[in-house]
Amino acid sequence: VQPPEKPLQAEEWNKLREDFQSPEIFEEVMLNSMIRCNSPIDVAKSLLTHLAKRDGDIAYNVLVKYLTLCVQQGQVAEIRDVYDIMKGRFKVLESGAYKLLIRGLSNSDQWRMALTLLEEVKKMMIPSRTCYESCIKAAGRHQEMKLAFELYDEMLAKDVVPTLDVLQSFFDFSRGMKDAELQKELFGILLYLRENQIYPHKTFMRSIKLWFESIPGGNWRGHLTNIKDSGQCPVCNHQLEDSNLTEEEYSNLSERIIRDVIHGTDTFRKTSPQEFEAFQTFVENRLPFDIVIDGLNVSHIKSRRMQCENLFDAVNCLAKENTRLLVLGRKHMLMNSSNWKREIMKEMQNKADFFFAENISEDDAFLLYATLRSGKHCKFVTRDFLRDHKACLPNSLTRHLFRKWQRGHQIAFSPSAEGRSINFSSVFSQQPAFRYDCVVQTTGDTWHIPYKDVFEEKYSYQVPRKWLCIQQK
Amino acid sequence: MQSANMLLRKIVRSSVLPFAAQHGMKKDLFPLSRTLSLSLCLKQDKSREPSEKLDLDEWKKVMKSGLQEEVSETVSEPKELSGLAAARETLEMWRLAGRAVPENISEEELKTFMECPSKSAKKKYLKYLHLKELHKKNDKRKMREKRERRLEDQASKTDETKKNSFLCMWSSTMDKAYNWRAAQSMIFGQPLVFDMSYEKEMSLREVTNTVRQIVLSESCNRRSADPFHIHFCNFKDDSLYHREFVKQYREAWGRLLVTVTDQCYTELFPKDKLIYLTADSPKVMKTFDHDKIYIVGSMVDKSIKTGVSLARAKRLGLETAALPLEKYLLWSTGAKNLTLDQMMHILLTLKDTADWKKALEFVPKRKYCDFVNKPVKELKKTLDLINTLKLGKGREEGQKQFAKSYPKKYKLK
Repeated sequence: VQPPEKPLQAEEWNKLREDFQSPEIFEEVMLNSMIRCNSPIDVAKSLLTHLAKRDGDIAYNVLVKYLTLCVQQGQVAEIRDVYDIMKGRFKVLESGAYKLLIRGLSNSDQWRMALTLLEEVKKMMIPSRTCYESCIKAAGRHQEMKLAFELYDEMLAKDVVPTLDVLQSFFDFSRGMKDAELQKELFGILLYLRENQIYPHKTFMRSIKLWFESIPGGNWRGHLTNIKDSGQCPVCNHQLEDSNLTEEEYSNLSERIIRDVIHGTDTFRKTSPQEFEAFQTFVENRLPFDIVIDGLNVSHIKSRRMQCENLFDAVNCLAKENTRLLVLGRKHMLMNSSNWKREIMKEMQNKADFFFAENISEDDAFLLYATLRSGKHCKFVTRDFLRDHKACLPNSLTRHLFRKWQRGHQIAFSPSAEGRSINFSSVFSQQPAFRYDCVVQTTGDTWHIPYKDVFEEKYSYQVPRKWLCIQQK
Repeated sequence: MQSANMLLRKIVRSSVLPFAAQHGMKKDLFPLSRTLSLSLCLKQDKSREPSEKLDLDEWKKVMKSGLQEEVSETVSEPKELSGLAAARETLEMWRLAGRAVPENISEEELKTFMECPSKSAKKKYLKYLHLKELHKKNDKRKMREKRERRLEDQASKTDETKKNSFLCMWSSTMDKAYNWRAAQSMIFGQPLVFDMSYEKEMSLREVTNTVRQIVLSESCNRRSADPFHIHFCNFKDDSLYHREFVKQYREAWGRLLVTVTDQCYTELFPKDKLIYLTADSPKVMKTFDHDKIYIVGSMVDKSIKTGVSLARAKRLGLETAALPLEKYLLWSTGAKNLTLDQMMHILLTLKDTADWKKALEFVPKRKYCDFVNKPVKELKKTLDLINTLKLGKGREEGQKQFAKSYPKKYKLK
């Protein structure tokens, strides 16, 4: 339905209602379309007056719809009136109405009332992140940075994840302020990005840059750059943190992998105790390896060729002077078949160690174990993103560790464009493991912040290649 | 055009203009067409006194005036509500706001609601209760209508009672016959094992669903010409399963013609005769073997925990098998694990007829496109067509689906 342009009389509303196909929901539908068309609130008021006269009462959901319209148009006096009416009529309100009230009031000069409302919400439930967002932005807009940070800390303490918008607004509102305390808080936000491996988008990055450059007497300069594969920043020649885990992180991760990924709730789900034990002794007797290969994964790289040929190429390519290789596979690879020729398998076994798991076992789990047991230098080869294994890990901290380790240690092959050549290196291009860690990082007088162009990088395994380098002169 | 303008001016002057002037609106903001369409009803109202004005804030007065008495009432109440009452209050507000919330909620349900770990869990639980309430209401309404209709019928017919008693006797005789067959199967029938050891793997809702499915399977087994001898193995007294069974069967639970035991199937039967049916099995069932004992895991896994029952079979060193779904059906969507009653229907049909096509009729139609009885090439065409027509998916999608279901055997290019 199309809402009318001007207030109507009761009779006119009645007529419209009668013409409508299902009169019971007429008011709701009408208000919805008013919200959509952003009709003047006087029209909505006339509908409410008509309702109030007819029924002597107005239903809660109709009031909320009217409130939505008021908030949409920033009618502060009206929002307050509706709040008074709702408060008198109902004992408590529900979260939707509170969200609207907070949003509506926080954008006005009555923004402090939004804070009182937030307190009211807290009595009943944990406020949503948009409620916090409105309040924090309101406080920031009025230069009450201390209050804004108090709300922010409270939000984190309640495990409410802040929106990138809120984080960005902190940098926008603090621009040009000289305050050591404030600076510390903002560095804290950058470290929050680091800990949660969040990458700011382009406009957010720009806010960070502008804030740094606006600190009075700070002498900060920001440059946009790409980091070389070596991990050196071309602007300030600073070497980025390497992607190695610390001893503690490393042992923590390998313990978790064994416990949660390989054993999980039931060792039989991925392997069997006998098999795992056999594998353990096999690995312990031959440690350490330099590269562990997922044989089946590699063998599927080029579908036109025999699977064992693919694997043979990969092994030949990686088997250089004194590199110790381990290839993981399944028992069916040993049966002579059209895809797996016995002679080629024999030849490969001279160049690398092989372990064949049962056909129904999961070889990926073994891949992770063997690589982690071999030590920090060991890399592994597979095109698999290992998402399912990451998902087995219990908390986000270990999952981040896993991602970091994976970025530093996984080598992925992909078939290159020209396909005919037998020479391995020209058939496949090799994506090397990252040598530097892709997170927000600082040395005190420099900051390096990876950022993404808004529409790029929608996959969690992809990391941004663009960086913001900030240094103090 | 001129006449239209004249009309417009007339209308505007008559009722809207005073109003618009009062509220500072510009009349040229109104698109011509809208005003014209309204003009008709405005014209009819011309008889009304034109001086009547709209008080736009009148609704506030109405809303506030009703409050005075109510406020005095609420003041006497304690301001801070206890946890349960507050939750009830919040729910009421959600209902008023038009969310999927049940009208009536019991104390127990309210507690479950409050124990939900997250906002989305709460929402889901409420929606479940809401739908349950709706279904119940609908059923009640239908029952009432039926009863009324029957009363009307009875009023018109007089010899209804005779027919009734005949019907009644017939159904009790049938019951006796069924029970006789089930009792026979207890002595001579082929065993079928339900493995009741998955309680830890499931949520309360899943256990309820499992038991519901087993009750359905048991009833269809009882009604078949040659029933299985059903065994509930690994069945612990006072377990969740047990409690749910008693809830479903009530006193009939004690009279059920099945074997219930806390022993494992490996203790009851020779290991080499057991076959564990699981969708994760690498082996595909070719024929139904009348000398084997099939095991079905009594588990509903809404979160698709792959490999749980396969792990159990591996641990005990049992043979496993999966239904040959891909061999006979052109699979389209959905998981390959079937409900327990569907499994029972399939196994019963296999036992009686050994006809896979007939047996797999019990796989839900939404999960497959067609039976595989034509050359694969044609099937692929049909699948593509179905996908493009019905689902609006592209050709690639169809091929991908096809490649997923039929990995190596058939090359697509």
